[in-house]
Amino acid sequence: MSPLLRRQAGYGVAYITPGMLILLVFCIAPIFMTLYYSFTEYNLAQPPDWLSLENYEKVFTNSQLRKAVVNTVIYVIITVPIQTLLAMFVANFLAEYLNNRYGRFLRSIIFIPTLASYVAAATVWKVILASRGGLLNEVLGIFGIGPINWLGEPTLALICVSLVAVWKSVGYFTIIFYAGIMNISVDVREAALVDGATPRQRFWKITVPQLKPIIYLNVTLGIIWSFQAFDIVYKLTGGGPHNGTTTIAYIIYTYAFQDFRIGYASAVAILLLLVILVVHLIQQHFFEGDD
Amino acid sequence: MIRHERRSVRFIVGLILVTLFALMCVIPLIYMILVSFADTSTMYIQWDDIHLFDFSNYIYLFQNRDFARPILNSLIVVVISVILVDLVSCTMAYGFEKKPIPGKKPLFNMVLATMMIPTQVVFISLYVMMRKWGLLNTYIALVIPLVGAFGVFMMRQFMQSVPNDFIEAAQIDGCSEIHIYTRIVLPMVKPARITLAVFTFNSAWNALLWPLIAATKDEMNTLTVATSSLTSYFATNYGPEMAAATLSFIVPFVLYCFMQKQFVEGIALGGVKG
Repeated sequence: MSPLLRRQAGYGVAYITPGMLILLVFCIAPIFMTLYYSFTEYNLAQPPDWLSLENYEKVFTNSQLRKAVVNTVIYVIITVPIQTLLAMFVANFLAEYLNNRYGRFLRSIIFIPTLASYVAAATVWKVILASRGGLLNEVLGIFGIGPINWLGEPTLALICVSLVAVWKSVGYFTIIFYAGIMNISVDVREAALVDGATPRQRFWKITVPQLKPIIYLNVTLGIIWSFQAFDIVYKLTGGGPHNGTTTIAYIIYTYAFQDFRIGYASAVAILLLLVILVVHLIQQHFFEGDD
Repeated sequence: MIRHERRSVRFIVGLILVTLFALMCVIPLIYMILVSFADTSTMYIQWDDIHLFDFSNYIYLFQNRDFARPILNSLIVVVISVILVDLVSCTMAYGFEKKPIPGKKPLFNMVLATMMIPTQVVFISLYVMMRKWGLLNTYIALVIPLVGAFGVFMMRQFMQSVPNDFIEAAQIDGCSEIHIYTRIVLPMVKPARITLAVFTFNSAWNALLWPLIAATKDEMNTLTVATSSLTSYFATNYGPEMAAATLSFIVPFVLYCFMQKQFVEGIALGGVKG
């Protein structure tokens, strides 16, 4: 290595070291600590007690946790496809057919729920979905429907929680899709038009294939985020009724920070990590196999 | 280019659907603001109970629930995290993108991989650590998890557009390293830094899980935590809750009104490039 290059490398190390230290200490080290705790019993009062695989064995016989896993999977299955497809259709319409002031106005409105915190979103939706006097039941009442106890029945509550999450995040994905569609070269789209492709053909044969990397990104982000759903559940339902909306992330929170079963909560968290990893690999395989 | 379709039935149906969709996006938030001005001591919210500019729900929050403190806490957390994230992301991105660091590829991949890790995995041990070090209920604790790989990744994308010739020319001219970084590189990526600041602002302001864990004392609660903990006290009285939600929504909303471009471009660029 020449002296000049060596000096540049030295500068480089100086640039990345402070940040790397922060990440190592406060992000990477905790990952391995949690992995270690997952093999122990630890309640913060006494030092961790080595248990080997006992926590993991308990995980598979815990019916509350099994419920949480099922709930989380249902939540992901509802949110990810709906928010991805809805965002794609809306973005496509705005980009292809409404590329004017009104379209841009709609686009900026659709983004607004993304600005609110999940707490604010859940606060409002709790009132809207209230069985007595809630806005939704009032409106449905005009048509002689209801009143429906939206958050009072486990399955319905889980669907409501998922749809509120879609409401909150769909604007984010719309913006990503919109930018992606605008990035497809105009030549490609115009060529399709000249060839007499119908709007439907243009969407499925031109836009969707070209958008594949962006669909991949949005599905990836959607899966990673949805598997960690906590805020909405915490504020909207508190995991209830009858654990109907308890998610894995919510259960980790209660085990770790309400019951202080750090070891057991760590085992569940590591399992969550593995689940996300496996689903991500399956999804990656699915997208690659498509070519 | 698609003019001949303008008046087709398909177009009009689409227009109506997209307009309805946009309405669905904002109606709940408008409802939130309206109810925050309502007298909601009864279970049924009547339209007659809504008196705009009747701030009694807000006054209640400040007088009876000390909301000034959580708002101040959130602002402090936001300011520190915006500065810290900017500092860390820019320096790391510059080092990784423009300097010949040995083994930088695996190092950078390790940084990227942390984005896949669920926050719960990190937070459990981070809590244990902060507790041991006596850092719970400090601003440092509240800010630290906001420093992450995303900012480094995003800034590195933008650093690629800084031409190496510029940096080399400055080096030949005898420009010192620190001058090259602060006078040439940083100004060139300024739009990206503003976007990152807007992002950091939003995630710091809206964060719930970590502040809930790291602030065990009420006086260190952030606005989101304070808002979420109102529930138990008002089983049926929605007014103060909606006022708190409105307060927490209005800050990013005003920021959005002024900086819509930064919000939208940041997300779009992350999507298109990533």
